[in-house]
Amino acid sequence: MKVTRRDLFVWGAGAAAGMVFSPVPWKLLDDVSIWTQNWPWIPQPPHGPIEVKQSFCTLCPQGCAMKVKMAGGCPVGVAGVSGNPVTRGALCPLAFGVHQLNWHPQRLRAVRHKRVSSSWSEARAAFAKACGEGPIVIVDGRPGSAASSVLASFAEEQKGSYRVALSLETRALLPYEAMVSPVIPASALGYDLERAQTIVSFGAPLLDGWGIPGRFTRLWSERAAGMSEPQLRLIQIEDSLSRTATRAWRWVAIRPGSKNALAAGLARVLVEEHLVSARGPLSALTVSDAALQTNLSESAIRDLARTMVAKPPVLAIAGDERPEIAALNFILGSVGSPGGIVRRSKPTEKYELANAAIPNARAVLIDASVPWDYAPPTDAEIFRFAAWDGGSNRADWLLPAPGFLEEFTDVNSAPTSAVETYGVAPQLTKPMFEIHSAAQFLSAIDSSFTNPETIIHQRCADLFRERAGTVYGQEIMPVAELDSAQKFEAELSKAALWVADAPKSASLLCELKEWPSTSPAESPRNWSAAWAAAVLPPLATKLYRESSLREAPDRRTA
Amino acid sequence: MSRNSLVFGFGLAVALLAGWVAFPRALYSKRPQPVEFLHKTHAEKSGITDCAQCHAFRDDGEFAGLPANDTCAGCHSDHIGTTATEATLVDHYIKSGQETPWLVYSRQPANVWFSHAIHVRRAGLACADCHGSYGDSDQVRVYEVNRISGYSRDIWGHSMSRLDRAAGDGMKMSDCEDCHRRRGIEVGCLGCHQ
Amino acid sequence: MSARYGMVIDLDRCTGCGACMLACAAENNVPSLPQASARTGLTPMLVRKISNGGEGSERREAFIPILCMHCEHETPCVHVCPQQAVEVDKATGIVMQMPQRCLGCRYCMTACPYHARYFNWWDPAWPKGMEKSLNPGVAVRMRGVVEKCNLCHARLHAAKEKAAAAGKREIDPADYIPACVEACPTAAIHFGNLADPRDPVSQQSHSPDAFRLLEHLDTQPKVYYKSKEPWVRALSEPNSGPSMEAKHV
Repeated sequence: MKVTRRDLFVWGAGAAAGMVFSPVPWKLLDDVSIWTQNWPWIPQPPHGPIEVKQSFCTLCPQGCAMKVKMAGGCPVGVAGVSGNPVTRGALCPLAFGVHQLNWHPQRLRAVRHKRVSSSWSEARAAFAKACGEGPIVIVDGRPGSAASSVLASFAEEQKGSYRVALSLETRALLPYEAMVSPVIPASALGYDLERAQTIVSFGAPLLDGWGIPGRFTRLWSERAAGMSEPQLRLIQIEDSLSRTATRAWRWVAIRPGSKNALAAGLARVLVEEHLVSARGPLSALTVSDAALQTNLSESAIRDLARTMVAKPPVLAIAGDERPEIAALNFILGSVGSPGGIVRRSKPTEKYELANAAIPNARAVLIDASVPWDYAPPTDAEIFRFAAWDGGSNRADWLLPAPGFLEEFTDVNSAPTSAVETYGVAPQLTKPMFEIHSAAQFLSAIDSSFTNPETIIHQRCADLFRERAGTVYGQEIMPVAELDSAQKFEAELSKAALWVADAPKSASLLCELKEWPSTSPAESPRNWSAAWAAAVLPPLATKLYRESSLREAPDRRTA
Repeated sequence: MSRNSLVFGFGLAVALLAGWVAFPRALYSKRPQPVEFLHKTHAEKSGITDCAQCHAFRDDGEFAGLPANDTCAGCHSDHIGTTATEATLVDHYIKSGQETPWLVYSRQPANVWFSHAIHVRRAGLACADCHGSYGDSDQVRVYEVNRISGYSRDIWGHSMSRLDRAAGDGMKMSDCEDCHRRRGIEVGCLGCHQ
Repeated sequence: MSARYGMVIDLDRCTGCGACMLACAAENNVPSLPQASARTGLTPMLVRKISNGGEGSERREAFIPILCMHCEHETPCVHVCPQQAVEVDKATGIVMQMPQRCLGCRYCMTACPYHARYFNWWDPAWPKGMEKSLNPGVAVRMRGVVEKCNLCHARLHAAKEKAAAAGKREIDPADYIPACVEACPTAAIHFGNLADPRDPVSQQSHSPDAFRLLEHLDTQPKVYYKSKEPWVRALSEPNSGPSMEAKHV
C-alpha cells in the first residue's frame, strides 16, 4: 500500500477533528488562562495561622503600643492599640510599614569593620582592647531602660563616660532644668497637655510627629478640630504655613528667626498689663522692638498676649531648645502648675549630653537607639550598633543590632509624657542572623553585668511591690488588686502598659533670675527626623515619591 | 468503506487516543507525599471518625486545614509502629520540629478566598461534598500537579471530560458557581476572590 | 441584609499625616517600587492638599483624602469596563474591582471623575524576603491591571468568617473597619452603613456641613466629606472650588 499525499491530508483532517473532541484544546486554554492569572514570579503572601499580638514600637523613643498581625510567625500588619491610655490607638504614619523593615535591603546582616566584612569575635576583641587602652564613651538614645543600666554601669566600671542623645522634644525641656529646684532633669519633665486650655506653640510640630503621635492629635481632634470656639485653643506661631499651622485655631505668621523676640515682647505685655501675677524678669526688648523684629504690629502682639491668658491654663511649647520660651512659661506661671510643665517621675540623675565635646576618648560605643545621623564630636574609634545601614557614617565598626520585634526589651515613659509608664516589648520574631544589642555585647565582654532580661524582671517586681498605678492590658486593673508579682509580670510581658498614678501635686519650686540672653540658631526639622532608624519603611515612598503629600526626607548623615 | 474514511478514522482515533489518554498523563506530573498517610488506618485503628478531630477550626473561625505537627504529635510523639513511614514522620519531622511539607490536594490560587466556617458551620455542607470521600482511602493518593498552572489535579477533577464526575470531584470556579446557583446564593466577584 | 457601606471624612480633623495611605498600602499589599513616581505610583488612598488660593497670612490650607468614591448611581467605571471586571456589589454597595479579570485597557481610569484608579505599570516586587511581610488576605496584583480601593475587602471576609463561625448571619460592625479608618490618628474618617438611619455615619452624611465631590455629576458617591469651613465645602461645586494641589508635580 502506498501512502499518498492525499492520505496525509485526510489523516490530518481526522486528527484535527479528533482533537476538537479531545480535552486538549479546552484544557490547555483553561490551564494557560489560570497560569496567566498566577504568574509564578508574582510574590505570594505567607501561609499560616493568623494571630494578633501586642508589642511596642522601639524605633523611636516614644515607644507606641501596637497590635501586630502575624501570619505563620511573620509580622504582616500593624495597628494601634485603642485601649492604650498613652497612644489612644494612634500611631505615626511610618509605623504602618515597620513590619517590613526587617527585610529592608539595607538591613545590617553582618559585622563590618571599615565597611569590610568582619566578625563578632573580632569586634569584641577590638572593643576589649580599646577598653584596656583608654577611656571609653557609651552613648545611649533611650535612657532609663534596662539596657541603659547595663550601658551606664559598664561605662562606670571602665571609668568611661555614659552619655545620652535626647530627643528633640526632651531637649526643648532642658532650659527648665536650671529653673526648678531641686534640679530635675529634662527627661523627668513633661507637658500636662490634657489640662491645658490654651497651647501656644512656637514652631513645635504638635500635629505632625511631635511627641507621642496619638496624644496631642487625639486631644486636638476631640477638643479643637473644626470648632470656632474650641475647648483647647491651639495658637501656632510659625514663619510658614506648616501642617500644625493649617490646623491651628490661630496661626500667627512671624518673620523667620523672630520667635525669641516675640516671646520677649509677649512677656513684657503680660507683665505691664498685669495679665499675670509675675513681675519679671523681662528682656530689655520693648514691645515695639518685638513688633519690628517679628513683622507683627504692636497691637497684634498685645492682642495675642491677651488672647493667650483669656482661657487658662496656658502652656507655651517650644519646638527646640529655647530658654526664652521657658522664661515665657515662667512669667505665665505654667512651670509646675496643672496644665503646664510638670514633673513626671521621681528625680533621676541628670545625664551628660551626647553632643557635648568628647575629650581624649579611646573609643565611642553608640547604641542602636541613638538616631543614625548622630555623629560623635571626636576622632576616637567608633563602635556603632544599628539594625540598618543608613549609608555614609564614619563609624569604624558597624554592629548588627536587633531590628523590629527581634528583641525582648522594656519601654519607659515617652518624652513629654505627663505620667510615668512602663511596658515590656516581647520578642515576636526570631532573628535571621547573628545580632546582638549593645547591652548583650557588653555583657558578653564582662559577664559580671546583669543582663537586661534580669533587670526587666527586677523592675517588674519592684513596681509590683509599690502597689501603685494601673495596668492597661485586655482589661484595666489597678496594681493593688493584682494577686502576685508573677501575674503582674505576665500581664506586662503580653505588652500591657503600667501607668503610674498621677502625682498629687504638680507644683515645682522655680525661679528665673534674669531673662535669658542666649538665642540658639533655629533648627528646622523634617518630618522623618525623629525616626531613630537609619532607613524608612519602603512604603513611606507613598508619602513623598508616589504622591506630593510630603517633601522627601532629608537624612543628614555624618 | 473507502480508503479516505479509513485514513480519516485513523487520524481521528490517534487524536482521540492522544487527547484522552496520553495528554492527561503528560499534563500532570506525580509527586509523592512526604509521609504515607492513610485516612483508613486512622479511622480503623485509632477510632478517629470525625474529620474535625484533626482538621479543626481555630478560635477566630479560620479553618486550620491540614493539621500541624503538634496535632500529629498528640499520638506520634514517639514511634507507635515499626513502618518506615512512622520513622520518617517521627524522626524527620516531629522530633526535629520541622513542619511536614504536605502537598495540599485542594490548594486554591492565591486570589481565591474560601471560608470553611461559612460553608460548614452556616450552610451545613459535609466535608465530602467538596473534597470527596477521603475517610476510607486505603492507599496514599498520588499528588498530581498540573505542569502549566501549577495546581493540583483535584481542582479540575479526575474526570478529564468533567461529565462523569463523582460527587466532590473537581473544585473549579464553575463548580462553586453551580452549587451557589442551585442554592440561590449570590455573591459578587469579591465574595470569593481576594 | 443589604448594606450601603460609606464614609464621612471630617476634613477639619485631617492633619495630612499620611497614616491612612501607609495603612492602606500595607493592608492591601500595594508595592512601593523604586521606579514609581507620583504619576505612576499606586496610592488607592491619596491625601491631597487644597488651598483657598490666598497669599501670606490669608492663606488657608487643608488636606483631603481621595479614595474610590464607590459611586452608587451610573457608576462610571462599571459602565465602560469591557471585561465586567468591576461591579457594584448588591449586598454592600461596594464598587468591586477584580484585578484578575482586568485586561488593562484603562477606560475606567479615564472614566473615573475622581482619579481614584491606578494602573500597575510594573510587576509588583519587594526586596528579597519581604514577601513574608505581605498580608495573606489579599492577592498581589500583577503588571498591566487596574486597581483601586475595595474598602479593605479582606477585612470584610474576616468579619464574615468570624460571624459564620459564631453561627451568626450578620457581621458585627466592629469587626469590619477599613485600614485607613483604623489608622487615622485624629479619627477623621468615619465608616459605616449609609442605609441604616441609626448609623452615626448615615446621620453625619445628612449634616449641613457634609458634601460630596462633583455632586453635579449625580454619580452619588458613598464617600462624604465634612467641613465647617465654607471655602472647603466649595469643593462640591463645579469649577469654582478651592484649588487642589496637582496630583503629581
